[in-house]
Amino acid sequence: MSDGIVHVVDDDAAIRDSLCWLLRSRGLPAHHWDSGEAFLAGFTDDTARCIVLDVRMEGLSGVEVFDQLLARRCRVPVIFLTGHGDVPLAVTALKSGAFDFVEKPFNDNQLVDRIIEAMKVCEVRLQEQHAEAEVAVRLGQLTTRERQVMERVLAGELNKQIADALDIAIRTVEVHRARIFEKLGVRSAVELAGLVLKHKG
Amino acid sequence: LSSGAVSRIVATESAQPLADARGGAGEPWPGAPIPPPPSHRWQWLTARVAIALFVATLLGSLWMLHRSELEEDRGSLIRDALWVEQNIQFNLERDIEQLRDLAADSRGGVVDQHQFETRTRHLLPSSAGLLRVVLLDVDGALRASAPGSNEQSSGVPWVDAESEPDYRLARSVGRPAYGPAHLVAGEQQLEVFVPFYRDGALAGTVVGIYGLKAILAGLVPWWLAEKHWVTIRDAAGNVLAAKSNVEADGRPELTHQAALDPPGHGLLLNVESYGTKTLLLRNLLAVVILGLAAAVTWSVWSMRRHIQRRMDTERALQEEHAFRKAMEDSLVTGMRAVDLEGRIIYVNPAFCQMVGYPASELLGRPGPQPYWPVEEHDHIAEALRNARRPGAPRAGIELELVRRDGERFEALLYEAPLIDAQGHQAGWMGSLLDITERKRAREQVRLQEEKLAATARLVTMGEMASAIAHELNQPLSAIASYLTGCLNFLESGGKSTEEIGPALKKAAQQAQRAGHIIRRVHAFVRKSEPTRSRVRINAVIEEAIAFAEGEARKRRMRVRSRLCEANPELEADPLLLQQVLLNLLRNAMDAMADTPAGQREIVVTSEVAGAMVHVGVADHGCGMSPEVQGLLFSAFFSTKKDGMGMGLNICRSILELHRGRVWAEPAPHGGTVFFFSLPLEAI
Repeated sequence: MSDGIVHVVDDDAAIRDSLCWLLRSRGLPAHHWDSGEAFLAGFTDDTARCIVLDVRMEGLSGVEVFDQLLARRCRVPVIFLTGHGDVPLAVTALKSGAFDFVEKPFNDNQLVDRIIEAMKVCEVRLQEQHAEAEVAVRLGQLTTRERQVMERVLAGELNKQIADALDIAIRTVEVHRARIFEKLGVRSAVELAGLVLKHKG
Repeated sequence: LSSGAVSRIVATESAQPLADARGGAGEPWPGAPIPPPPSHRWQWLTARVAIALFVATLLGSLWMLHRSELEEDRGSLIRDALWVEQNIQFNLERDIEQLRDLAADSRGGVVDQHQFETRTRHLLPSSAGLLRVVLLDVDGALRASAPGSNEQSSGVPWVDAESEPDYRLARSVGRPAYGPAHLVAGEQQLEVFVPFYRDGALAGTVVGIYGLKAILAGLVPWWLAEKHWVTIRDAAGNVLAAKSNVEADGRPELTHQAALDPPGHGLLLNVESYGTKTLLLRNLLAVVILGLAAAVTWSVWSMRRHIQRRMDTERALQEEHAFRKAMEDSLVTGMRAVDLEGRIIYVNPAFCQMVGYPASELLGRPGPQPYWPVEEHDHIAEALRNARRPGAPRAGIELELVRRDGERFEALLYEAPLIDAQGHQAGWMGSLLDITERKRAREQVRLQEEKLAATARLVTMGEMASAIAHELNQPLSAIASYLTGCLNFLESGGKSTEEIGPALKKAAQQAQRAGHIIRRVHAFVRKSEPTRSRVRINAVIEEAIAFAEGEARKRRMRVRSRLCEANPELEADPLLLQQVLLNLLRNAMDAMADTPAGQREIVVTSEVAGAMVHVGVADHGCGMSPEVQGLLFSAFFSTKKDGMGMGLNICRSILELHRGRVWAEPAPHGGTVFFFSLPLEAI
């Protein structure tokens, strides 16, 4: 969590500056952008854990920036800052997956609390994403034959049946099976099924 | 067209019930033409038959008279003819006797000429028509003649061949015989042969010669000749002798013929009546009768034509009347006429329907009329007086009237002088239009527009408020963030004052930024500076009242003013002051919405108090609770359903611009008085 950064996008310098000051006072590293365009150009989601977007900005509005983030399949939680009268816009954004919206003038520490919550959610998401990526990598290490054998194992076929179907010796099937288990880091067929299903789901 | 006549007409018309007067479409008009009754034709026929019978009877009696006269003429004619005939016969017979006597005297034998003449001297003049007497001897030779002639007895027979048979007959039978008439020297004559005997033997013949004309001349008296044309004719009807040269026209019914025998030989006595005089008279009478009959016929015919024409005119008049009545009954516009004293002399059904009173209750009524609202009597009377002034504009006057059931309605009245046929003014004719609906629709539109405008204002205001809110949000949010951050640092104790200081400075800057925004808004509002001019306070008040009066009338409220006589002049923006007054007047009207109609009065006063002028707007409304009075001038506070809570704020702002002030007090008689004061000296 210590390496996670909060991105603040607002065209009002005072708001940007004061929010960063506030976040730093709670020990959260923050990075600020003065427009949606600058943010979209310079932003990478490796370290980003939360994005705070002002709805009403010069140039690209907050909602437009959010739409582009969705298009990029960025999964960093977004919190909208809204002024008076922008609530319907923010609600729409909420429906399409924004994390929350906070109306100005906001209760500052409550906002920070929401940001921390969002960062935690992001962390969890990143870990999940990381695990999935690992499974994918391991699955990629399997040979074609091993993949075939694995599918039949997952289908619940016995070694003999697999050997008959693939026209190979039972002994060979057993070797493949052992290699699959080794490559994917599982110890039984049940664990294997759990891993693969989680990856696919 | 006298007023009496009109009221009589109206009275008869209004006698029928109202519903009838409006009538169904299928019914004939009440005054539709009636076809002439069937007895009419019979009357004419009887008149004609009577005239024909009268003329026929007259002509018949005339003809009968003519007939009887003719009969009478004929009778007298026959009488006269017989008398003439007998006279002639008597004379002839007497002559024969005398001729026989003469012959007897000549019996002595030879009588010479001289003797014969002597003897016949007295005979000739006394015997009518006897021209000559001749004595013939037994041989028929002339012996003597009287009067004498140059003829001498020559021994030759004297009798001519024509008379020979009769001469012979006389000699043979020994009785006198007449010869035929024959022409001698241009005159019809006839002879009578009287034989005489001596000693039993024929001794000779005395011949009397008669002139037919002389007979008539001697024997037909003048009075007879005057009446009749007397002629002697032969058997063939040829006239042998006539008494007069004047011939009658020979009508058979006025002619009588009698045979003259003697002398016989087919001689006829013909008597014809002249009868001209009576004919003329009768013809004249007939002509007069016919003329009179024609005159009677003509006069009857012309009378009939006159009556026909009259009836046609009457029918046309009836139709016209019925048409006018139908027209007037189907009018939607109410019509009413009043005489010069203001009494109603005519109303049409539409008018009755409009005001809800039947015509019988309205006719003859002097003002004020029952359909004038009680509190409007003076106002309506004055409006009517103005409209009837000579040279008054022709535009209709708007009045508020009340129906019988108490419902009020707005009406437009056009008043015009009622001029009768002689060109005198008999009163006033008014046409009345019910414009309640029209006004209501107009009012609806106005309210709609007002609402729209108010909504638009609200939207604009909302936009502005939103913009200001957003503008203010930014610095306020920033300040809050800085300060919260500072607090966080102070609580955790992780930072020194040197580090926190800049953040606080930034927060202070943001606070200044917020202040700038507020000043900008102020500056924006201040752009609408008043345009001052020198105005009289009463003029401003009166103009504002005139502006509000329409609405007041609609809400049955009255605005009175009690203005100070000083009427001070002050420097102010009249439009803005009027805005203040209008706002106060509207508030007063709204406050009196539940006040009884009679007490809805607003009094506007102005008075000078030291260096200020005080203007008061007092209502008779519901008054104010202390809580309301406390909140009176706070923005967005309103006791009205649709109120924005800006009116009094605006008033206060305007008055503050004029260095005046506004306040409210409870009115002594209930309700509230709003006062505002303005300084008199120049600002």
